[in-house]
Amino acid sequence: MAVVPNTPLGPKQVTGKRVKRPERTASVQAYVPELAKGIGITLGHFFKNTKEMALGQRNDPVLEGVEDGINTIYYPEQRRPYPERFRGLHRLTHRADGSPRCVACLCCSTACPAQCIHIEAGEYPEGDPRRGYERFPKRFVIDELRCVFCGFCVEACPCDAIRMDTGIHATPYDSREQFIYEKDILMSFMGRDGSQQSENPRHEPGDEGHPGIDRERHGH
Amino acid sequence: MTTGLIIAFAAKAFFVVMFGMNLGVILTWLDRRQGAVIADRVGPNRAVVWLPRSIARGMAMGPAALIAVGVIVYFLQVEATGLERTTRALLFSQLAIGATWITALSIAGRVRIRGVRTDAGGLVLNLDRLFAWIGDPRVFVYAGLGAHLVTFLAAAALKGMPIGANLREIAYGASPAIFVCSILAGAVYSVMCMTHERVGLRLMGLLHPAADGVKTIFKEDFIPPNGDRLMHSLAPFISFFPALVVLACVPFGDTLCFGTNDGKIDFTNLATMVPREGMCVDGAMPLQVLDLNVGILFFFALAGTGIVGAALAGWASDNKFSLLGGLRAASQMVSYEVTLGLTLIGAIMIYGTLRIDEMVRWQAEHTWGIFVQPFAFFLFFAAAVAETKRIPFDIPEGESEVVAGYFTEYSGMKFAMFFFSEYIAIVSSSALMAALFLGGWHLPFVERDGLFIAIGDTVLLRQPLTHLSVVIVGVIGFIGKVALLCWLQTTIRWTLPRFRYDQLMRLGWRKLLPASLVNILLTGLVVLLVQSASPTVQAGLRTAGDLTELTVAALGLLAVVSLARYWLQPVKKRRAIVTSAQKFAARLGGTKSARMGA
Repeated sequence: MAVVPNTPLGPKQVTGKRVKRPERTASVQAYVPELAKGIGITLGHFFKNTKEMALGQRNDPVLEGVEDGINTIYYPEQRRPYPERFRGLHRLTHRADGSPRCVACLCCSTACPAQCIHIEAGEYPEGDPRRGYERFPKRFVIDELRCVFCGFCVEACPCDAIRMDTGIHATPYDSREQFIYEKDILMSFMGRDGSQQSENPRHEPGDEGHPGIDRERHGH
Repeated sequence: MTTGLIIAFAAKAFFVVMFGMNLGVILTWLDRRQGAVIADRVGPNRAVVWLPRSIARGMAMGPAALIAVGVIVYFLQVEATGLERTTRALLFSQLAIGATWITALSIAGRVRIRGVRTDAGGLVLNLDRLFAWIGDPRVFVYAGLGAHLVTFLAAAALKGMPIGANLREIAYGASPAIFVCSILAGAVYSVMCMTHERVGLRLMGLLHPAADGVKTIFKEDFIPPNGDRLMHSLAPFISFFPALVVLACVPFGDTLCFGTNDGKIDFTNLATMVPREGMCVDGAMPLQVLDLNVGILFFFALAGTGIVGAALAGWASDNKFSLLGGLRAASQMVSYEVTLGLTLIGAIMIYGTLRIDEMVRWQAEHTWGIFVQPFAFFLFFAAAVAETKRIPFDIPEGESEVVAGYFTEYSGMKFAMFFFSEYIAIVSSSALMAALFLGGWHLPFVERDGLFIAIGDTVLLRQPLTHLSVVIVGVIGFIGKVALLCWLQTTIRWTLPRFRYDQLMRLGWRKLLPASLVNILLTGLVVLLVQSASPTVQAGLRTAGDLTELTVAALGLLAVVSLARYWLQPVKKRRAIVTSAQKFAARLGGTKSARMGA
């Protein structure tokens, strides 16, 4: 029984554009016409790129990256901007009074798959309104060499205290110790928008708009 | 040999050595830069010397002021009469037109690129506004080329008329002033633009080969412990020396004729017109270092010794890769030398001489060698590329096979000498090709007595020029032709992949060699045919020769115009602002101009 193609039961006939195979024609075998063609392509690139450099019309490697031509950048002077969601070095966000938002809950260091975060929690002194509600990081250390920049710490943080929106990539240092960033370094970084705080609201104990339980409202 | 002749000999030798070495350095730079540009990269262009502003200003202003003072003094001191007056008027009007349009073009181009400089002083601002108002820089190219042509045509057409004499007087007086003004204007503009404390001297990256040269001198000079110390040190010199010395027998300009007055050299003869036919009897100074009657044989004899350097380097290095590379170099160069010599037999049959300057003179009289021996030019070009051991024929140093071939064990300046001798070999082979096939110093319609445009017996234009100006134009033309051929060779390098060893040998012995033999046979037949042809046919051939000159001139002009048209045409770019990174860059005004804080 003959197999009829393109029927519900038969095999589907392959349709497509027939690609012409390169043939060893006389002109290809003679080498010289192909040589001329090759030089033509080389010269085309040469003239186009030289012209664009001479006219100062080189591609902007980011904005005009779709164009052919020279798309390289002079690295230290020019830099390729990172996308908005780029995970750069960590920063610790500030409260209004300049202390870290971090409450030393250890969520980030627990979530960290590389185990590069070390936190020593400290209690606020007796009489401080924050005592009993939260703690603060006595030490907050990140080993940036060990970090895999997965962003899990940012996901885990309940207080929006750790962020990776600095837009800075890890600087190459010459010793491992220099990659260990202490709290003061982490707090000195700014976000890409230049702020050290966070847009998310933060309520100190005793605030009018405090949504949760505090000392005054614990009986509810 | 008188003192004057010794000085002239030394001056010519100095010129040739400087020509070869400087072109070699420029080629070293060009090869890297062009290779990068072809592959859509920028290439080395960042070597920079920071100059204090005062020195930079002096470097811009000094030469311009010197030229200006020189022209004014020359003009006031030396009064010209007769033919010299016409020539000087014509020369200076051409110079004035050239300087004006090139200055205007460069300022307009800069304004086009960076926009009007609002931070600069009054003059720069106003000039920028003017050029921004004019707009397209191309108008200066078209206007300048048109003015060049119109001046020449007007000078030839109005010759002998009263109005022509008046115009000549105007041009004689005004053109040096215009020339000086435009040069000074360009210099003052660039000085006014230097507003920063220090100015970077980059020269498009030309400082890179200079820095590399200095660096290689101070690098470690390694000699393999078991290698032959003497031979190892000698090989780079044996490789370098012939490549440079063969340039000695290539004429770079027409023979200069001094008048001799009572055995003394009389330079005033340079300012007069010499007859078109024949050579000066006494006081002739050929513009080639070695005036040999077997010039072409000398060239090949010396170029052949270059093989010894490569083979010796491979032998003395005590390294199997070096030895392989040296053997490859020797076999390849010997093979292609045969083709190189045999392709020339056809040309020698036609020119009827072994003197290179006589060959150029034959071409000036009849037509360029490329039109009578096109096949030989192609074969010679291919064999010459193989002879310089360059891609696609670079198997002696094939990196993927024998590390670096015969100079694997070389470092520092000795390595640089091998490297550099390759580029100088390109220059010398290009110089020979320019002399044998592209008419040497001869430019279309520039004869010994001036500009002479004629097709067959119809004279279209005739403009006598002084001897010196004709010779200088010829030397510039020769340098231009050599540069063009060198550039073509570097372009081939970035186009073709390397041949395999057997392919290389097969191409040399079984394709190029038989082809060159066929070329000899065909040339012999054609020479016999032409010699036995009727006078009408021979006159027709002479007209055809003139037509080839016309074609070359027209093609040259077309190339300049279309290059200017193409190069100054602004490019349209498509922008895509889709990703956040692109939005971020766009907000700061683009990655090119803004300094991105990562």
